[in-house]
Order: sequence, then structure tokens, then C-alpha cells
Amino acid sequence: MTDALVLLIVLPIVAAILPVFLGILSDRAGWYVALAMSLAHLGLSTVVANAVVTSGRLSYAVGGFQPPFGIELVADGISAPLLVLISLSTLGVVVYARRAGPHSNAFYSELALLTAGISGVVATADVFNLYVFLEITGLATYALVASGRSPRAAVASLKYLFVGTIGASLYLLGTGYLYIATGTLNMASLSEALAGVGYTPAVLTGFGLMATGLLVKVAVFPLHTWQPGAYAESPDTVSAYISALVSTAAAYGLFRVTYTVFTRDFLETVPIAADAFVLLGSVSIVAGSVLAVMQSDLKRMLAYSSVSQFGLVVTAIGIGNETALIGAVVHLIGHAVMKGGLFLALGVFAASVGARTMDEFKGLAAREPVTSAAFAVLAFSMVGIPPAIGFIGKWNIVVGAVEAGSWSVALVVVVSTLLTLAYFGRVIERMYFTHPDEADVADASVSADGGQPASDVSLGMRTVVVVAAVTAVLLGIAGSDLISIIQPALEVYFV
Amino acid sequence: MTELDSLRPLAAVLAPAVGVLLIVALNRRPNLREGATIASSVSTLAIVASMVPAVLDGSTYVTELGAFVPGISFTLTADPLGMIFGLLASLLWVVTSFYSIGYMRGLDEHSQTRYFAAFAGSVSAAIGVAFASNLIVLYVFYELLTVATYPLVTHDETDEARKAGRKYLAYTFGGGVAALAGTALVFLTTGSVEFTPGGIAALASADPVLARAAFGLLIAGFGVKAALMPVHSWLPDAMVAPTPVSGLLHAVAVVKSGVFGIARVILDVYGPGTVESLGVGLPLAAVAAFTILVSSIIALRQDNLKRRLAYSTVSQLSYIVLGLALLSPAALVGGLLHIPAHAFMKLTLFFCAGAIHVETHTDDISDMAGIGKRMPLTMIAFTIASLGMAGLPLVAGFVSKWYLLIGSLDAGQTVFALVLLTSGLLNIGYFWPIIYQAFFQTPEDSDAKPLIEFPIGGTPTRADGGRKNATLTSETEANGETYAVDQHPSDHLTEDAHDHDDEHHGGPPAAGWEHRALGTESTWFIMAPIATAATGALVLGIVPYTAVFLALVQQVVAGATGVVF
Repeated sequence: MTDALVLLIVLPIVAAILPVFLGILSDRAGWYVALAMSLAHLGLSTVVANAVVTSGRLSYAVGGFQPPFGIELVADGISAPLLVLISLSTLGVVVYARRAGPHSNAFYSELALLTAGISGVVATADVFNLYVFLEITGLATYALVASGRSPRAAVASLKYLFVGTIGASLYLLGTGYLYIATGTLNMASLSEALAGVGYTPAVLTGFGLMATGLLVKVAVFPLHTWQPGAYAESPDTVSAYISALVSTAAAYGLFRVTYTVFTRDFLETVPIAADAFVLLGSVSIVAGSVLAVMQSDLKRMLAYSSVSQFGLVVTAIGIGNETALIGAVVHLIGHAVMKGGLFLALGVFAASVGARTMDEFKGLAAREPVTSAAFAVLAFSMVGIPPAIGFIGKWNIVVGAVEAGSWSVALVVVVSTLLTLAYFGRVIERMYFTHPDEADVADASVSADGGQPASDVSLGMRTVVVVAAVTAVLLGIAGSDLISIIQPALEVYFV
Repeated sequence: MTELDSLRPLAAVLAPAVGVLLIVALNRRPNLREGATIASSVSTLAIVASMVPAVLDGSTYVTELGAFVPGISFTLTADPLGMIFGLLASLLWVVTSFYSIGYMRGLDEHSQTRYFAAFAGSVSAAIGVAFASNLIVLYVFYELLTVATYPLVTHDETDEARKAGRKYLAYTFGGGVAALAGTALVFLTTGSVEFTPGGIAALASADPVLARAAFGLLIAGFGVKAALMPVHSWLPDAMVAPTPVSGLLHAVAVVKSGVFGIARVILDVYGPGTVESLGVGLPLAAVAAFTILVSSIIALRQDNLKRRLAYSTVSQLSYIVLGLALLSPAALVGGLLHIPAHAFMKLTLFFCAGAIHVETHTDDISDMAGIGKRMPLTMIAFTIASLGMAGLPLVAGFVSKWYLLIGSLDAGQTVFALVLLTSGLLNIGYFWPIIYQAFFQTPEDSDAKPLIEFPIGGTPTRADGGRKNATLTSETEANGETYAVDQHPSDHLTEDAHDHDDEHHGGPPAAGWEHRALGTESTWFIMAPIATAATGALVLGIVPYTAVFLALVQQVVAGATGVVF
């Protein structure tokens, strides 16, 4: 049973190698490998989640070396839903990529590697091992962003490489400080050791470095500069996958480091740490939304929207009571479904009618009705209209903020609804209630006849988008069940 | 009071939702699509009506759907207060469906599938609002209602319509956010957001500052849709929507969901006793009184018929809020009874405005002299409804206003009784000229209406005796500001309109209004709903006890205050 946990990481690593060899046989081999891998991954994560739901926490000592010396992998009520989320996102993206591309075996190798990295970040219970997986995630993402093969994608990838590496290095440095202070790297034993050592300057520095490094990866304002380029310039399939999972994994890492390693005592003794999270998160919510409203490129708009939404998650981590943290985890999962779905929808629009900018979105609903409806559902869910999942996360964060007495934070979170509406409202208004300019329609029909193929959209692509929209609503309706899985794992930190 | 486990409240919410799916699926077959609208509206009404007898006997129907967020269950309850709104919405939806079909086909409107689907969606959300059993469920449907009505407001796809849509979303979501914040506060102070007749007990003993803050947030939030001043301005702008939508916005779903939210907060969350001890009723009553008077005065100066009706709605909604805020049992009865009373009357008025628009493309009151000849039945219905608005006996408005007057005297607040009486006069002030010139004047021979068209404070005597054309131009100049709706009144009569009937744009034809007999003025799809709604307003006025609503209202008030009428 616990073997499934390690297989979640080993399987994609093996799958990453296969396309390289099978590529000799067929150009399409990569897709079949990726599909098989994502199905198997889903099976494994379901086994893990099932075990967690029935019997609680799951632990695996890698190579038989028992923690605190060996590397420990853990699945609990928080990581298990995330693992299932990773499997489902991978499956969705692979199905989508069959027609949408990129059509190369290298792409599927990188995708599998990224899956391994993210699964590792979520499953590991060792701070150094977390660094390793963060770097695997990072390296795979740099390569995937660059697979757009345009000069701009190369620049975006390079920028991400620089900033991402700095972030990872900061994290590694912080890990070093902790190791010197305590002599252990296992999360559970670190938290015990830290209680004994006390919050010395070395420990504080370690926390600051680790948190900053992770915040870079989460892309919180003003550390977000790599993110819009990376999301906007990469191929649509890649944007969807990394927007759904990469920052999510980093935010999960931040949560683990803050609560499992440093624990709530630390936040109470060093209130400036929590205050910094809340402040950065709140600024990020507002700044991300404002920047999103200013974008004319839809992918950039969604990218800044992520800056804003992750601000919400970081704020909730800073608020630090059980309700807010439930909200943070729910919003992590919800955001992945919604944002991934939105990016995939953009891919459908771009492929079928060539619409990528705000102006090209005029009258889109008439030409692409089903995908538009799914886009609208996902957008309203992101705004926080109940009963979709966006509301459940937001509600818990608001209640958590009020419980903690942070009125200003509650205000920001509540107002973030309107800010989100500001940028999604513009899009929906253009899609549904604006007539396309004559010139645009003419252009589209010209390119439909000549240039690029008229409708390069498969049923599979549209289906994945619709499934994402339906999932966002169903998750919201089943919100209390999701919370009942997460809650036991969180209660541990609040005894 | 017994609770009956039943799927009927859920079915009432789902019936229109299924209608949405059918309407979208029958996109390409308009006749079947409209059939789906009618079928789902009738079945919704049947489901809701089937619950009436037991609810009148003191039972409630409950559908439990499990936990929604921790500590809060997703439960639908058909209690007396919910039945008032649910029955009203489903009943008037049937009437409006027929009218919509006549109206949309009469004008050959575009995007009719989206229109009918959004309409059904709005009703589904409105019934959800009615049967919500706690603040969170109410909030869920309240927000869904905003989303569902947005395509209706923006239906015309013109710049004005988009602007109105943006304003509508910004105002109502802003209000939703305030309501959500208030809900969170109530949840944290009491641990419950369940609607309890007479109020959540823990709120009475809670920290008064928190309780007042939560009350303020909730009322401000729901007050946006109830169009309390100063957050009313989305409503007149939303008049760019097709007229049946205006009817829906005003009479059936949207604004009523706002006042219904306020009613739930006052009666079932705080309870009249707690509201009184917190001292928050009087400020709310003052805001309502201010809104009643100011919007009536603004209504006097509107020449666009739908805009005048919109300000009339702003004013009449505050009757309801005033009744709720005064807290005396009679005032509560009056306020709650005004929900259906105003609905029937205002729906009649909007239907009439729409019928005039469909038949003659006239939107401005100054063009309507002598129109009683062309549209006799329409104008008779209009007359009945406006007399009711002013509170004259035998029409629904009288009964509710009577209770309101008694209630304000009971509460010892004579000043509000005076406000109500003044408002009645103002109502006559802005409705009577319409009726008078429709029946007793002709386009060639119509006077300027002093109260309405002259500058406030009087005007020098004119040599021409105030002929209308002279005053009109000076008034437009003096007015200075023009509204988008005034420039492009209601349903896009601009150059690029989709309107195919281009013979004349508004106003009487050159040869004057032709004479038509009763009932031949338009299609029966339009005339029958007008007649039905007007009859409803009369029934509520003549035999209020036989019509279900007063019985339901008295049951609600008895539950909340213990006073049995």
C-alpha cells in the first residue's frame, strides 16, 4: 500500500526516459507513454487517497533507511487530494495535447519529468528532498516554457531560469542554516529539534531564506516577474499545466515548511513572519488584479490573475488558524482546476478562431458556444460565485480572517471578489454582448480558407475544458466532503 | 409547526433549471423552445402551489441536501415567508412567459434562446432565494440570480446596454460582498446562520457593536438590489433591457430578492425584538422614507415612461423596507403584503409600457397624448395599476398601504405616516398626467403638465399659454444632463437597431392615433398577460383575505412577533 507513494514519483521518472528510446520507432510514441503514465499515476494516487481516507497518515521510508536519517515520503489528508489533483490534471493535459501539441517526444519526456517533480514536492517529508524536487520541477518547467520555440518564449524561459534558480538557491541556503542549527533534515524531527534549539538568529535566517525562496516560486507580488512571461509565451497546453500545478506545489511547500517544520508556535513567537505573509499576500491580491485588468493579452491576464489568487493563499497561510488554512488548501485545489481549465479554453479559442487578445474575443460566444460557456462558468467560479469551488475557498478564508480578528484582511479578501470580477467581467462582456468588428471576422475567414487550418480543435480538447468547468462546480457542491478529508490533517497543527 | 421532509422545495428550484436545459437544447426550434418555457413555468407554479395548503396549516416543507461548508447545511425550506416570494415569482413567471413570447416575437428580437434561458435561470435562482433556509444558501442563490439576470440586462448588446450591465454587476456584486461579510460576522458571533422565526437567540445577547455592524452590512448588501438610496442608480439604467425583463427585474425577481433578503434579516435572523433593542430599525426607516420621497420627486421629471416607472419602483420598494423597519406588527403586515401588491401593479404598468412600445414604438410620455384611443385596454389597465400605486381603495396598493399607515401610527412614528401620504400625492402627481392626456387629449391639443414639465418653483406666464412644444425644448435645454436611456430609449430605436418596423419612431402617426376597439390593439399574447396582472392587482385589493398572500403574511408576522391578526 505504501509502495504506491514512492511509485507516484518513480513512475513518471521512468516514463520520462521512455519517449527518448521509443521515439526511434514512432513520432507519436511519447503521447502513448504519457497517457499510460497518467492513467497509472491516477490509479496510484487513488490507492493512496483511499488509504489516507480509511486509515489516516501514510508514511514510506525510501530505500529502507528509516527517518530521521533516510528520506521519508508522507501522504495525509492534505497531500492526498493534491496527488489526485496532479494525476487528473496530467491526464486532462495529455488528452488535450493529442491534438493541440506540442507534438514531440521531448515534450512528453519533460511533461513526465514535471509530473515527477510536482508529485515529489507534495509527497516528501524532508526539507532537502523538497529542494531536489523543486529543482526537478523548475528544470522541467524551464524546458517546457522554451518548447514554444519562439524567441519570446526563449527569453521568458531564461528569465524564469534566472529568477527560479535564485529562488531555489535561497531555499537551499535556508535549509543549510536549519541543518547547521539542528543536524536533521526530516520535517517531523526538525520541528522537534527546533523547539529545543529555540528561535536563534540562525533559525530565523533559515526561515526567512526558505520562505523567500518559496515565495519566488509561488510568484507573489513583487516576486512574480518571471511568471506572466512564462505563462503567456509557452504553448497553451504547457501554460495550462504549469499554471495549474507549479505554483500550487510551491505554495504547498510553503505551507509544509511553515506549519510542519516551524509550527504554529513559531508564528506566534515571531509574529513578523505571519504579518509578512499577510501583507505580501494582501498586496499581491490587489496588485495582481490591477495588473490583470490592464492586460489585453488573455494569457497574460490569466497569469496576473494567478498572482492575485496565490496572494489569497499566502494570506491564508499568514492568518494561520484552522479555518483559513482549510480555505488555503481548498483554494489551491480549486484554483488549479479553474485556472488550468481557463488556459485550456484559451487554447481552444486560439486554435479554432485565432482569438488571443481582448479585441479578438468580441462575439466569440456565437462562434465557439460550448467552450465559451465553460469559460464563463470557470470565470464566475474564480470570481467566487457559489456554489462553485471558488466560493468555498474564499468563504473559509474570510471566516478565518474574521475569526483571527484581522478585519483589514477580511476586507481585502472580500473585495478581491470584485477585483476578480473586474477582469473577468471585461472578457465575458466581449464574448457575449459585443459584436465582432467586421475586419476581424473577415480576417478569420481568410485565414480559415488559406493560412492555418480552420478548426484545429478536437472533441477531446473541448471535452477536457467542459470537464474542468463541471469539476469546478461539482467540487463546490461536494466542498464539505473535501474539507472533511483535509480537516483531520490540519487539526494536528492545532492541538 | 411540523416539518415535512419533502423534495418539493428542491423540485421547485430544479423545474426552471431543467427548463434552461430544454430551452438551450431546443435552440433551433422556436415553437418547441417557447413550449419548454411555458411547460416549465406552469410546472414550477404547480409544484409551488401544491405546497400552499399545508403551509397555510402551519407546516413547512424541508429538503435537506447535507452540509455545504462546515457548520452550515444546504437546506431548502418552504416556510410562509418563503412561500410569499416563491409563489409570487412562480405565478408571475407564467404570466410573464406569455408576455415575453408576444413581446420578443413582436419585435423580432435577436438571441431569443439566450433570453429565455436566462429568464428561466433567473426564476430558478429567485425560487432558491425564497426557499433558502439560512443566510449562506440565500447568498448562493442571490449571487446566481445576479449572474442569470446579467445577460438579460445586457440583452441589447449596445454600448448603453453593456454599460448598464457593467453597472448592474458592479453594484449587485458589491452588495453581495457586503452581504457575505455580514453573514460571516453573524456566523462567527452566533455560530449559526439558520433562519429562525423571531430571530437567532444568540444575536440578542451578542456584542451590540458586532451585531450592529453585521446588520449594517447585511442591509447594505441586500439594500443594493432593493434599490435603497443612494445605491439605487443601477435600476433606472437597467431600463435599457427589453420590457419583460424590466418587469422581471422590478416585479418578480431581482428587486424583490433584495427586499426579501432584508425581510429575512429583520424577521428571521435578528427578529423584530433584537432589531428594536439594537436601535437599528429607525435609521433604516429613515433611509427608506428618504428614498420614498426623493425618488418620487425624481420620477416627476422623467419623460421616458420606463424611467419614470423605474423611479416609481425605487420609491415603492422602500414602502416595503419602511414597513419592515418600523417593526410594529401592522407595519410588518403592510410591508410584506406590499411585496405581492407592488409586484402585480408594477408588472401591469411595465407590460403596458411594453405593449405601447411594441405597437407604436412610443417611449416618451410627451408623445402619448390621446393614446387611449389606440390602446384602450392597455391604458385602462395602466389606470387601474397607477391608482393602486397611489394607494386608492379597491386596488392591491390600498390594503398594504392601509396596514403601513396603521403600523406607523402603532409604532408611534406619525412622521412616517405623513411620508406615506405625501408619497401617495406624488404618485398621483406623476401618474395622473399620463392617464389624463391618454384619454382626454389628442396629439394636436395637449397642454404642458405644470408639475412635470415646468421648472420647479414656477415659471413666468407664457404668451402661448404653455404650448407643449415650446416648453419641451426649453426643458431639454434646462435639464442639461441627458441619460443614455433618454437618448436611446429602451429597446434600441437607434440607426443600427435590429428593428424592422421603421415606419415611424415613436409618437403618434401623422394622421393621429387610429381608433381601435377594446382588445384589438395588440396580440393576445400581450393583452392577456396585461389583463391577468391587472386583475390580480384588483383581486388583491378587493378580496385580500381570499387571495393567499395576506394569510401567508399574517402567518409570518404571527411567527415573528406572536401577534395574531
